[in-house]
Amino acid sequence: MIELSYESGTLIWTGDAATGGKPPEPFIWDKRTEQWRAPASSYRETVLKLRETGTPYTDRAARFEKLSLESRVAMEPRPYQRGALNAWRKGPSEMRGVVVLPTGAGKTAVAVRAMERTGRSTLVVVPTLALLKQWYSILSDSFGASVTVGLLGGGYHEITPLTVTTYDSAYIHMERYGDRFALVVYDEVHHLPSPKYAVIPEMLLAPYSLGLTATPERPDGGHDLLPTLAGPVVYRLSPEDLAGTYLAPYQTVRIPVELTVAERVEYETEDAVYQDFLKKHRLSIRSPEDWQRFIMVASTSHSGGREALLAARRRREIRASAERKTATLESLLKRHWEDRTIVFTKSVEEVYALSTRFLVPGITYETPARERKEILDRFRIGRYRAVIASDVLNEGVDVPEANVAVILAGSASRREYVQRLGRVLRPREGKSAILYELVTEGTGEEAASRRRRESFAEAYP
Amino acid sequence: MLRGEHVMARLVRGRLVPHRLAPNDEQAREIAEALVALYVVHLGKPRARLESELALVEEEIGPRLDPRRGFKILRALSKLLEERSSWASPTETDPYTLRTRLFELAAALPEFPSHTGALLETETREELLSRVATETGVEDPAALMYADRQGAQLLSSFEPPSPEALISRYNVAQIQGVLYSAKDLTVDLGEEADARLIFHYVKLLGLIYSLEQTSRGYRLHLDGPLSLFNSTRKYGLRLAKLLPGLLLTAPWKLHASVSWKGREAILELDSEAPGLTSHYKGPADTGEGDTREAFVKAWKRAKDTGDWKLEPGVEILPVPQLKTALVPDFAFRNTRTGERVHLEILGFWSERYLIERVALLREAAKRGRRVLIAAPGSLNASPETLSDATQGDVIPFKSRLDAKSVLAALG
Repeated sequence: MIELSYESGTLIWTGDAATGGKPPEPFIWDKRTEQWRAPASSYRETVLKLRETGTPYTDRAARFEKLSLESRVAMEPRPYQRGALNAWRKGPSEMRGVVVLPTGAGKTAVAVRAMERTGRSTLVVVPTLALLKQWYSILSDSFGASVTVGLLGGGYHEITPLTVTTYDSAYIHMERYGDRFALVVYDEVHHLPSPKYAVIPEMLLAPYSLGLTATPERPDGGHDLLPTLAGPVVYRLSPEDLAGTYLAPYQTVRIPVELTVAERVEYETEDAVYQDFLKKHRLSIRSPEDWQRFIMVASTSHSGGREALLAARRRREIRASAERKTATLESLLKRHWEDRTIVFTKSVEEVYALSTRFLVPGITYETPARERKEILDRFRIGRYRAVIASDVLNEGVDVPEANVAVILAGSASRREYVQRLGRVLRPREGKSAILYELVTEGTGEEAASRRRRESFAEAYP
Repeated sequence: MLRGEHVMARLVRGRLVPHRLAPNDEQAREIAEALVALYVVHLGKPRARLESELALVEEEIGPRLDPRRGFKILRALSKLLEERSSWASPTETDPYTLRTRLFELAAALPEFPSHTGALLETETREELLSRVATETGVEDPAALMYADRQGAQLLSSFEPPSPEALISRYNVAQIQGVLYSAKDLTVDLGEEADARLIFHYVKLLGLIYSLEQTSRGYRLHLDGPLSLFNSTRKYGLRLAKLLPGLLLTAPWKLHASVSWKGREAILELDSEAPGLTSHYKGPADTGEGDTREAFVKAWKRAKDTGDWKLEPGVEILPVPQLKTALVPDFAFRNTRTGERVHLEILGFWSERYLIERVALLREAAKRGRRVLIAAPGSLNASPETLSDATQGDVIPFKSRLDAKSVLAALG
């Protein structure tokens, strides 16, 4: 009798000579351990082949279970969400495929439906700790009555039949748990085709997979690997397809913040020292690498290096903590006390400083999953009026009820900006969204803001 | 262990030279000493303060040590010191409960709790804080509301290493760092090397080996299950963790293929490399060493050992299905028939351990190797349990193993 078993991310085929003989591709004879071995991902095709040919076999590999998953959250799917789900179920390789939907279109809802339909142990793989916590919250809301949601990564190590993990943790740990899941959902699946993460699907027996993203294309061409890793693109909509109908209207308000007189004098002094040094050493700062170079040059320079470093640091501090910026934020919080406001800051430290100052809950990557869920739940039902967050709410993490967003300062990256707007742009009945951007005048933040708006125009012409 | 960003190595004609601090370099010693001192003075103080001090030191003395990489070296050293530290909470009050109370009360106000003027009757921030202070007995709730953050944790204990120990740990850690990117590892073990120790770590780390006999000992090739299909760096971290294990014995030579910043490179190292010491303690001593010595003496004293001769040199008997190998203590050769039998002496054992060892023996027997086990009578198992568990393949002994009972088992 042929026997299949799972071992550290691989599938082992044992069969006596009489019935077994040589197993089909892609099994290879492993001389090291004297076994037939294949990547765990070959489970689906192997089992299908065995069934097709009517070969009897014992499956000691799969350890996933049937789950009765019925979402408690009543959600009427939007027509395109239903379309995406059907395309996935009936696509060329049934229940294996990638769904491309713009930010804000409710990719998660598609995944929740897919889990319901599959009704088997499921692993969700996400790129960031923020998303890990976000999915924990969504899955607990949906399925918490029948299963406990497990977490792997960010200090959590609890594996249940419905587990959320990060790409990094999956890469490290999946060879231990790769036999436990029948369905794997890859959120932001464009992360998967990197040389490192591409090993993850290999270690998983999971016969079913669903990839989700707004932007499958990768500059390195890695998207060509997606069909092998997660399945072919089975459904695709662009932001233009949804604009107007499903994405709410919004307005942006840019508020220039001037430094106080004292701040300005100090800023200009420090800036002069810093700029002189850059000029003398023919440096220009356009990217994080340029900044690294500046640090290196300044810390090794014999004349003026140390002064330039201190000036650069002080200059940044003035800009970040500009008194009027905090005061402006305070007046915005006051003005929108009846709304749901979400504030984005540039740094984690700023979140804690502002949270302490305004007594408004803060969320960063440090916030534990349970507390984070509690804060966002209370925000959703209006028990909290505002939330201050660092970059943590990026990459598709949603706060559906926010109708006011304040960007204190951010780096000028296109994806970031579009996705942040996506938060506020979540459709909601009769909602008018406002996005404030606070920019300190006469400092480098102006240019960053300009770049952000330009890239926005590019994304939503 | 270092983080990836702390790892530094030069690539010289395809060979990697991991960054290294000379143990006798005065400046490196001084810096090591200064960092250790910094940790010591921050005992009982918050982590954030230690970290900002460290940042200052990095910027100030880093470039003096090495103009380009000084700050990285310092960061790496303090990472290694952090591994010797533990942290504790600054307060007995639960900061989560405290802040949640503040947020709830603030959000329940009809107007934003402003800093300054009270418009109408709305509570100000100060009033709200003092209300919570009375309620909870915490003097300054705003100061403690985020006391569970990492930066607020207090350094509660620290084991200071000597500067030499820190530098040696650094040098090993840099080599380990290069091994993070290793795809496989080949180790040539000399005959005197403790192969049993090596296999202890190989099994512990879940690595897969293949074994070849060489003229001077053994060659071990190490990687992982998935390496069969593509070369992968996935097992690099485990190969790195093997290194301190290797450093517990000698002689050996290692050779690793590394993908280093997009290029293929090799790393070579041997047990002669100076200044590298292990921070592993090795598997717990089970007292086998003494029993082994005593047995050799007993064998030499024995008047008649029949046709059996005790042979020097330890042989490794691979047991690939069980991902390990048997490294018996002794081999006996029958001078008349040429038969070779191995003997493994156990120290303290548990029933489960013994059953595992016997499973290994059976596997070896399938491969035509005969191995005997000698086990001391144990406090927690009767002779019956012993023979039940092993079905009679075991030579029981009391405190010393004598030649007679071994000869009886050899037959």
